[in-house]
Amino acid sequence: MKQPILELKSISKYFPGITALDQVSFDVYSGEVHMLLGENGAGKSTLMKVLCGAYHPEEGEIFYQGKPVKIQNPGDARSLGIAVIFQEFSLVPYLNIAQNIFLGREYSGAIPGTLDHERMHQEAKHWLKELSLDIDTKTLVHTLGVAQQQMVEIAKALSQNAKILVMDEPTAALSDRETTLLFAMIRKLQSEGVAIIYISHRMSEVFSMGDRITVLRDGKKVGSADPASTSPDELVQMMVGRRVDMAYARNYVSNPGKVVLKLSNLCSENGIKDISLEVREGEIVGLAGLVGAGRTEVARATFGVDKISSGKVEVNGKERTGEPFKSVDMGLALIPESRKTEGLALIRSVEENIILSGLKKIFPSTWMNNKKAQQISEDLIRKLRIATPSGKQSAQVLSGGNQQKIVIGKWLTTDSKVFIFDEPTRGIDVGAKAEIFALIYKLVEDGAAVLMISSELSEIVNVCDRAYVMREGRISGMLEKEALNEENVLKLGMADA
Amino acid sequence: MRDSAINLENPLLNSLKRLPGVALMLLVCIVVFSILSSDFLSIPNITNIGVQSTILLMISLPMTMVIMTEGIDMSIGALLTFCGVIAAYFLAQTQNLPLSIFMAIMVGLVVGLLNGAIIVYMKMPPFVVTLGMLGICQSLALIVTDGQTISNVGDTIGLAYNAKLLGIPLPIYFALVSYAIFHALLYHTRFGTYVFAIGGNRDSLKLAGIRVNIYHIGVYALSGIMAGVASILLTARMNSGHPTAAIGMEFDAIAAVIVGGTSFEKGNGWMFGTFLGVITVGILRNGLNLVGVQSSIQVASIGLLVLVALLLDGFKAKV
Repeated sequence: MKQPILELKSISKYFPGITALDQVSFDVYSGEVHMLLGENGAGKSTLMKVLCGAYHPEEGEIFYQGKPVKIQNPGDARSLGIAVIFQEFSLVPYLNIAQNIFLGREYSGAIPGTLDHERMHQEAKHWLKELSLDIDTKTLVHTLGVAQQQMVEIAKALSQNAKILVMDEPTAALSDRETTLLFAMIRKLQSEGVAIIYISHRMSEVFSMGDRITVLRDGKKVGSADPASTSPDELVQMMVGRRVDMAYARNYVSNPGKVVLKLSNLCSENGIKDISLEVREGEIVGLAGLVGAGRTEVARATFGVDKISSGKVEVNGKERTGEPFKSVDMGLALIPESRKTEGLALIRSVEENIILSGLKKIFPSTWMNNKKAQQISEDLIRKLRIATPSGKQSAQVLSGGNQQKIVIGKWLTTDSKVFIFDEPTRGIDVGAKAEIFALIYKLVEDGAAVLMISSELSEIVNVCDRAYVMREGRISGMLEKEALNEENVLKLGMADA
Repeated sequence: MRDSAINLENPLLNSLKRLPGVALMLLVCIVVFSILSSDFLSIPNITNIGVQSTILLMISLPMTMVIMTEGIDMSIGALLTFCGVIAAYFLAQTQNLPLSIFMAIMVGLVVGLLNGAIIVYMKMPPFVVTLGMLGICQSLALIVTDGQTISNVGDTIGLAYNAKLLGIPLPIYFALVSYAIFHALLYHTRFGTYVFAIGGNRDSLKLAGIRVNIYHIGVYALSGIMAGVASILLTARMNSGHPTAAIGMEFDAIAAVIVGGTSFEKGNGWMFGTFLGVITVGILRNGLNLVGVQSSIQVASIGLLVLVALLLDGFKAKV
């Protein structure tokens, strides 16, 4: 067999108290799409950072076309032809698209140090065209939507004419149409002999795009597999090391209770129009649609974060008005999309975070009893199975799944009866996902009502009793029972379907 | 479709909305002062505003870049004073103008490099580092002059401020050249691109294999150099070296940058906005003088200008 273009041998990387990578070996051939799978914290990101020169491994060797090399800094990685599409955007908000694409390798003008804007715009235009992106390259990046920014990020990596292209969940922020474009691009690059390392959480991608699959767990390589002879269940088992039921499907509730959340013709200054929906006791109602359809905005307007311009929100038959804290008093709970910035005080302890929302109820006199607080939080940590050494641990070191449990736990100390989840499983691994859903099921069994925003069709279809689909700020339809399938949700969500 | 309908109904409001806040305030200042004082729009007075704004412009231009990197340079006023005193000191001692200019700029460069190195390598907050440097520079200026004014600086240096070329005072040329250089630096060089990136997403530069620290320190060094250059004009203007000459000028500079629309976050900067901001501050000071308002109230009016600028931009973002 021919030689791999890049080969990592027995790479180990240690952080204080953690072995991030333990003797991991990994290789990739030209013209191959090598899928990298693993739960959060399995070591995928660390491995990527070793590849791009951001981290230096303590042990192990790297071979490029059979010759040993050292990747000391991002510059070394670049000169080896390694380009990375980062999940966390590496874009500069107040530079335009062309400047971002060529950041760090600008074309010089006639005078040394000056820039050849003309040439950069022309080449940037070429790459945007390749990706069927019809935007002016002079557009400042901060004015673009998340999906467009991701496409610019991809254009940036492509324009480096890399021999090895590393992608970290490139489709996480993309709609289906853009995903299709990206996949076509990957196929093209593959035929041109580019080696592609692709990190993904989505099983369908892993099987449709991958030539080879490698699974990491707890910093170790579990094994490699051939997609043709592996099943999703087997992969999941490799990832989590135990059997998890992939299908979190539940039975539809047959007799939901009274309507507890009712939106009537809701419009907000953030662009949602004429939203009417109902959620009943004991029901999980989905809110589906493409990224940018206005789902998060509905949640924000409902909770009172965004100003309502017309229409109304009723909770338990009473109209909700005023600031978000009044929504909490009325029994409304919002579990936001970006748990790191909106859901958690990251540097504070698990304990402090988890009782934050309930403080008013637990200690009505505002005088805090630390022992009682500790007891309540410890109960919750146990009940939610949050993996943390202690309640005193700062929330930032926990994995995404455990952080999400804290955010949910926060609301369990209040009297909340209506829960709005905004992408509750974003960036969470399969094992933790099942646990999060188990928590949500427990909530509705106890009589709560849940409105769940999700971009994953399988979640909407398998978890929800009914689902509303949004498109361009409006609700384009409501699906239930047999009609609630992935195809229908997609159709209602797409502009030209 | 709906947006365009609104635009048609309200063309005036729409064009006002597109106008940057600083231009709006500049217009208001010009209109108000030309009504209050008949001298305001005279050619000599306009020239005067330009000349008087030159020093402020020279330190506000690099301040724009510093603020774009999510930093601040509190030491600039004290450093300007210190450099001016150095220039005067060497003039008094040697009567050698080129040497004096060189020394002033060198001192500015060294202090700027120190600021940058401490901020970047020791990861200290820019506000605290430069505040410390403010105190040091202020003290050094007093030590060098022994608290007195250095007045035997000769006659040549005064020309830098008072001479005219083609009937236009030299400082105006200095101002325009400085602006042109900084505009080109920010928008047409690698350095400028990286200034945007340091404030906007510092990691992106690191991952692009750029030696970010060098550029970051460079921004503060540039600020120091410009303090040195401006200090020559300061010494020329007073024809002496005074140990408290430009104390507190960082306030005007920061105000001009903020009024000009540069933000403290994400590398959102606008060089021409700073130019307009400096003129607005200059006009405000000049106009209030003409109308006879005490200088103690002038500071408050600049503070007010900053607040109005922020409110205006916030309001426009909402409309």
